[in-house]
Amino acid sequence: MTADSFLFFFLAFVTLVSGLAVVLLANPIYSALCLAMTMVGVAGLFVTLNAFFIAGVQLIVYAGAVMVLFVMVLMLFDLRHELAAFTRGKFTGTVKIATVGLLAGLIVGAIMMSSGMLSDRSAQASDVLKTGADTTKDLGTLLFTKYVFGFEALGVLLLVIAIGAVSLARSKGGTHAKH
Amino acid sequence: MPLGGIIFITVFIALFGCFLLFLAAKVGIAAKKSSVKMEPYECGIPGVEKQDTKVSVKFYLTAILFILFDIEIIFMYPWATTFKDFIASGNGLFVLISMLIFILIFIYGLFWEVKSKALEWD
Amino acid sequence: MGKDIFEILVNGVKLVLVFLMIVQAVPILVWLERRGSAFIQNRFGPNRVGPLGLLQLLADAAKFLTKEEFAPAQGIKLLYYAAPVFALIPGAIAYAAIPMSVPIMVDAFEMFGQTWGPYKFLVQGYEIGVGIVFILGVSSLAAYTILMAGWGSGNKFSLMGALRASAQTISYELALGLSIVGVILLYGTFNLTEMIQAQQGPLSFQFLGYTITSEYLPNWGIFFQPLGAILFFTATFAESNRLPFDLAEGEAELVAGFHTEYGGFKMLLFFIGEYAHMMIAAGLMTTFFFGGYSIPFVSAAEVLAWAQTVCETATGASALTALIHFLVYNVKFALFLWIFIWVRWTLPRFRYDQLMDLGWKTMLPWALANTVFTAFMVYLAGI
Repeated sequence: MTADSFLFFFLAFVTLVSGLAVVLLANPIYSALCLAMTMVGVAGLFVTLNAFFIAGVQLIVYAGAVMVLFVMVLMLFDLRHELAAFTRGKFTGTVKIATVGLLAGLIVGAIMMSSGMLSDRSAQASDVLKTGADTTKDLGTLLFTKYVFGFEALGVLLLVIAIGAVSLARSKGGTHAKH
Repeated sequence: MPLGGIIFITVFIALFGCFLLFLAAKVGIAAKKSSVKMEPYECGIPGVEKQDTKVSVKFYLTAILFILFDIEIIFMYPWATTFKDFIASGNGLFVLISMLIFILIFIYGLFWEVKSKALEWD
Repeated sequence: MGKDIFEILVNGVKLVLVFLMIVQAVPILVWLERRGSAFIQNRFGPNRVGPLGLLQLLADAAKFLTKEEFAPAQGIKLLYYAAPVFALIPGAIAYAAIPMSVPIMVDAFEMFGQTWGPYKFLVQGYEIGVGIVFILGVSSLAAYTILMAGWGSGNKFSLMGALRASAQTISYELALGLSIVGVILLYGTFNLTEMIQAQQGPLSFQFLGYTITSEYLPNWGIFFQPLGAILFFTATFAESNRLPFDLAEGEAELVAGFHTEYGGFKMLLFFIGEYAHMMIAAGLMTTFFFGGYSIPFVSAAEVLAWAQTVCETATGASALTALIHFLVYNVKFALFLWIFIWVRWTLPRFRYDQLMDLGWKTMLPWALANTVFTAFMVYLAGI
């Protein structure tokens, strides 16, 4: 087993185990922390695909911002009562087994359906991987030539999200409700 | 990117930290449990169970606005690396104007958020 | 990590050495802090243990080791113990990506009856192509340390302290990320080694067709991005929870913030993490704005030529050059660490709402203005 494939299997193992732990653990804080670990694992997988900038962005935005938001908000709510109500019983057991089954089915299906895909595109893709080229400048070039409208639209989308979040925080009965 | 090196040093540091904590636990005195010491610290007075604490939504707002502005900053990074190449190839003005429009939307978002007092910490 | 076993071994040992260097720098920094603060406050610092009090932290570490092993009953044991261990990880991983000296070129040599080929060893943990994006990403994982510590203590003061400290950290990450965009615009790369390469020689830039060169000033980033440097440095104060952004440990309000329920060695590990973030900040300041390991007006090739007159072998000359540049880096690095300590004992602490206002309403607009101005300068003047 080469070093590259060992790294890939290790990272895939970490990502999958963390992802399973998100679904199967009872404590929501543990689930959120395992989801952060999953994001870090996905960032590592991006690195094995030579997408270094996207790996860094995944770390900054997903693992460093979104998951911090999740963990902070989960810590604000004392979920122990809700926890007791939700993790007992046959319903949650069935939901957990169904989720694991769905995930396993997705994995098997992806492997079966992609075995033909890889052999067609492998020549082009592995050339990029072999040269180890840095794709950040290509990304920047593409962003401003082909996708410049999407880029501007993204700015407007982020503005809309900001307005929505602030207005959501102003809902009645909350600490920031308008008097 | 030397992923093997990063994973190696992460695992090493985690093991080193665990070893240090284990050493501290072994060398230190075992905890003498007394009911007062085990209570959460509340400046010396006996703690009161939280009753229905009103959760402040400031933390959620700060984190959400941080995510949004962080994404905007992330989009500035590829622009910053390729700006000189675009100038050299003659498209500098177009790229500059498009990024200025993006920054203008950013500034408007920031300005609106400050004006609507979304981040007042009293 | 390397092509053959020798290179892998050396790189592995080098990574461990960089981490141990961070851990070993903490006693020196704490000594500097205690003696420096004493000097500023016109009193003696520790001067009993060892010459000049240098062994003080060794004694402190031994004392911390023998403290009682305590875990709060209401806390979550796993998070409570995992938080100090996790505190070391982001700082050390990020610091290993900062270049500390010129690479050492080792010629082919014979050992154990086999020729080990020519190597190039970098004087840093590893070289990251997207340097600064990686460092920012890993530093932003430090928020989890605080949150795990606050929640795992099972104490609502710890929790409030942890939430406030992490809200402060994420607010200043914005200013941190944005103040760097000007530097990236100037040098057109994320790679820290390339940024240092671009800062060689005397100050020279193009402006509207004229090339302006100064004989007296080196080509450092501070002359191109003074505002960016100030914003970056201030933001790193907030990132490492140093005064004046010290609310995570605000004694008057939250007892001791997120590390209220910690004592002994676990608390020491938190402070190692804090000093590691300080070291990252000092390292990045020297790399972006002060030329990193390069000596002003003396290029690395000249130093190598001089070293070759001293040493016979090419490997020795390369190692001597690397050593000289490493010392130059350390001088700049130590200067910034001293400025961290100096500011801590000079300025009073900010109130929490002043802190958040500064981060969102002052630093973010100024950083944006800096970016726009730099973009215009790069476009119009071709700097």
